[in-house]
Amino acid sequence: MKKTVIGMAGVTILLAAAGVVRQGKEIIIQALMAGGGMLLEVLPLLMAAFVLAGMVQVLISRDTINQWLGKDAGIKGIMLAGIAGALVPGGPYIFYPIAASFLLAGAEIGTVVTFVVAKNLWSLSRLPMEIALLGPRLTLVRFVVTLLFPLIAGIIANIWFHGYTEKVREQIRKIQKEGEET
Amino acid sequence: MIIAFVILILLAAATCLYAYRKGDGSHKKGFRIAWNTFIHIAPLLLMAFILAGFMQVVIPPAFIKGWLGKQAGLQGIFIGSIGGALIPGGPYIAFPIIATVFEAGAGLGTAVACISGWALWGVITTMFELAIIGHRFTVLRLGLVLMFPPCAGVMANILF
Repeated sequence: MKKTVIGMAGVTILLAAAGVVRQGKEIIIQALMAGGGMLLEVLPLLMAAFVLAGMVQVLISRDTINQWLGKDAGIKGIMLAGIAGALVPGGPYIFYPIAASFLLAGAEIGTVVTFVVAKNLWSLSRLPMEIALLGPRLTLVRFVVTLLFPLIAGIIANIWFHGYTEKVREQIRKIQKEGEET
Repeated sequence: MIIAFVILILLAAATCLYAYRKGDGSHKKGFRIAWNTFIHIAPLLLMAFILAGFMQVVIPPAFIKGWLGKQAGLQGIFIGSIGGALIPGGPYIAFPIIATVFEAGAGLGTAVACISGWALWGVITTMFELAIIGHRFTVLRLGLVLMFPPCAGVMANILF
């Protein structure tokens, strides 16, 4: 967690230095305004997403998650996670809290991988924009060639990385618990 | 954006109401989890947004366009995948860039690889992933999707 912040700060400083050399000092203000603007724009979405993720953890029992998205759910769980991923709106600050809450509630690693990759590739809320900006042909080709990827990634994760699920959960718990302590 | 917001608010409100009606204080627990997660992740989110701002300002769209516009074939597919990953920002920013790259003469496979690279390897998305769910999940997911953008480009060139 601390390492992540330091790493991101390092990359930011490098970018800032490159920017200042190439474009002058004004870019620092421009970049901060751009980042701040984005943050303000998505803040209401963020709050709603965190509330939703919190409620998911409280409401959905381990048994339910296990039945639908857990290790016994198998291919059915993968398909469901794919549909959920395609339907969830918003950016990474929205779907990662939800993915984390699924994992903590007992979902298997592969189903959560499918959820995330399906959000990346099958996103329905993005589709109108994709057709409008890239055209129907490019959008269709892109969808067809990537159609199976979310399922393939999830199935491989479930078969080979089943034992890894608990380690990932451990890390998420640590991330969320540190929040309680500070 | 507004549609996403309405859907999320409705989902959050519905789950809150459901938790409240259970009558065992579940809604309070849900809010507490939400708040704890938010407070802890806040510094990371702030950092990620600042970084996103710098990427947008320092890596100008014209640079990516010029770089990708001439690419075709297998090399184009690989460069397209990486270029896509480097495009900072959501679909509003990425799609217009990719559209101009495609119109400027990049091959179909390059364009498909570029969209897939943006969606799967996206640098900004990965920042948020690291912050919220941790590097163990991130490394596994990136490993699993590593070959997808070039594969998508190759398939697009062969099939279409």
